[in-house]
Amino acid sequence: MKYIATIGKHEYLVEIIDEHTVILDGQSYSVDFDSLNDQPVYSLLLDGHSYESYVYPGDEGMQVILHGHQFLANVEDERERRLRAAAGGKVSKKTVFHLKAPMPGLTVAVSVEEGQEVAAGEVLVILESMKMQNELKSPRAGKVSRLLVRPGDRVEQRQTLLSVV
Amino acid sequence: MFTKVLIANRGEIAVRIIRACRELGVQTVGVFSEADRQALHVRYADEAYLLGPAPARDSYLRGDKIISIAQKCGADAIHPGYGFLAERADFAEACQEAGLAFIGPKPSAIAAMGDKAVARATVARAGIPVIPGTEGEGALSDDELLAVAPKIGFPLLIKPTAGGGGKGMREVVELGEMPNLLNASRREAEASFGDGNVYLEKLVKGARHIEIQILADTQGNVIHLGERECSMQRRHQKLLEESPSPFVADDQALRDRMGDVAVRTAQAVSYVNAGTIEFLVDRDKNFFFLEMNTRLQVEHPVTELVTGVDIVREQIRIARGRQLRYTQDDIVMNGCAIECRINAEDPYNDFLPSTGIVTHSLLPTGPAVRVDTGIYPGFEISPYYDSLISKLIVWGDKRSEAILRMRRSLEEYRILGVRTNIPFHQSLMASFLFMGGFYDTRFVEEKFSMESAAEGKDDSSEIAAIIASLVAHQQTQRAAHIIQRNERDTSNWKWVSRWERMRK
Repeated sequence: MKYIATIGKHEYLVEIIDEHTVILDGQSYSVDFDSLNDQPVYSLLLDGHSYESYVYPGDEGMQVILHGHQFLANVEDERERRLRAAAGGKVSKKTVFHLKAPMPGLTVAVSVEEGQEVAAGEVLVILESMKMQNELKSPRAGKVSRLLVRPGDRVEQRQTLLSVV
Repeated sequence: MFTKVLIANRGEIAVRIIRACRELGVQTVGVFSEADRQALHVRYADEAYLLGPAPARDSYLRGDKIISIAQKCGADAIHPGYGFLAERADFAEACQEAGLAFIGPKPSAIAAMGDKAVARATVARAGIPVIPGTEGEGALSDDELLAVAPKIGFPLLIKPTAGGGGKGMREVVELGEMPNLLNASRREAEASFGDGNVYLEKLVKGARHIEIQILADTQGNVIHLGERECSMQRRHQKLLEESPSPFVADDQALRDRMGDVAVRTAQAVSYVNAGTIEFLVDRDKNFFFLEMNTRLQVEHPVTELVTGVDIVREQIRIARGRQLRYTQDDIVMNGCAIECRINAEDPYNDFLPSTGIVTHSLLPTGPAVRVDTGIYPGFEISPYYDSLISKLIVWGDKRSEAILRMRRSLEEYRILGVRTNIPFHQSLMASFLFMGGFYDTRFVEEKFSMESAAEGKDDSSEIAAIIASLVAHQQTQRAAHIIQRNERDTSNWKWVSRWERMRK
């Protein structure tokens, strides 16, 4: 099975031959790969070299933390890549963004109003949790819609606070 | 003399205090909120009693309840730890009135140092330099501030009275621009904290935050245990401390001067027990009194590792009325210690706090490594309390050795279930400015980012690509396996839906 892993500007062609062999950009390596106690931490023995890494799936690909460094990897197999090419490049990012509470907490301030235009990086809501005031920012420009919280509201983790369209 | 101590705290510091009590043969009593039934301090204490619901004001801040529990269970002393009730003069007083020893300073000393204006006035009277400014003088009008500004001298800072995080803070270079900046600062403070009050403070360029640990017994002996460098901060929260300070380094004269001032500060309020005097130190090694913390500090272990003094044990001995076992001459700083505060927060997502159940925890060990923590696999990190979940402290013969040891310890430390700032510390340990000891209180905000720290160093992206592909491959294989026909007694559709629900 062939995969294309994109990290930053680099694309790596990773071919998984069987459980014990991978080919990276034409070079063959012996591998032994296992997750530890079914946790998102993995041990890789690559030609005898031992690596341990956290791997978290995310909206924008996989987050690999190795030696204290973060690598954001987008992995596609050949079929997915062909489909994407046929669909004409990247899927449009112009979808609705729902701001969800990353943790349970108390809404301290709502910095925007319904219908307001916001820029990327603008603070939307300030949420207090663990004695800290945390600014939740808009990942992109747009217009605030469906404002669902008010200052003083307690919110649960992953509760939708507002949307940016 | 007492034989049973109630620890009015939670988390790693409650565990730390229980350890000191155990080693002294003193009985321990834990208290806990409904969220902390499973906490380590409840499991380690000889006795434990429920305080109330999870929010601190219904549990760990209920001084009245804590005192009545102490009386009921026959405890004869209370250790407040840090935070919560540790710096509340009224609580210390209530303990005394209830006939309980408060393991800390006298209420009068807490009160004197707790009010910033009083503290500044007290130490200034004793001839100790304070940072020029109007903090603690109440709400001053623009006209009053404009009148006092030239006396403080420029450049200076306008700071909101409420809150922190650099919000509403403005730097003023000359008087002419001050009215506009005052307006802007007040507006921002009002919007952020609902309180437009501001104060002025002289701007110390390249300021370092260095503090001196002191110990004082009831017989009037006061000694200091050297300094701790605490300049590594983010949003005014300390992240890493070390002792000795790389800035003071081998300038023994400066250390002696600061130590002497710290001792005099303590004497000015007839201080008893452990305390810390915080200084702001400028580039020219001028230092100013910032504040006194009348309690045990989070970062006390770095001092313990270089001086060999068990500060918590000394606290208990002092509260028992014993004389200090050390004179100033006995205190020698040996080697270097560094502490990294491990917080449940995601360094890759704006340091947002992370909550959840700790599913896995593998502690670093080996020579000269110490971990003070209250978490273990299965314990839930709740949103009610501080995000500090562990302190990793290492000792080295030299600073460079301590840094290398910290690097390997951070790499060993595995915490799963919640995100932690361990990668932040790893990046810090690789930063040349940190290695050189060149950092001030603005370092993290102005000169450091996770992205730039990663640049050009240890490029393992090929390995990361292989790992990511292998994980993706496993997921595909697993999914394919599930929808293979006739392998299961239930319908595959049912299986798929169950599997998806499980992954949500």
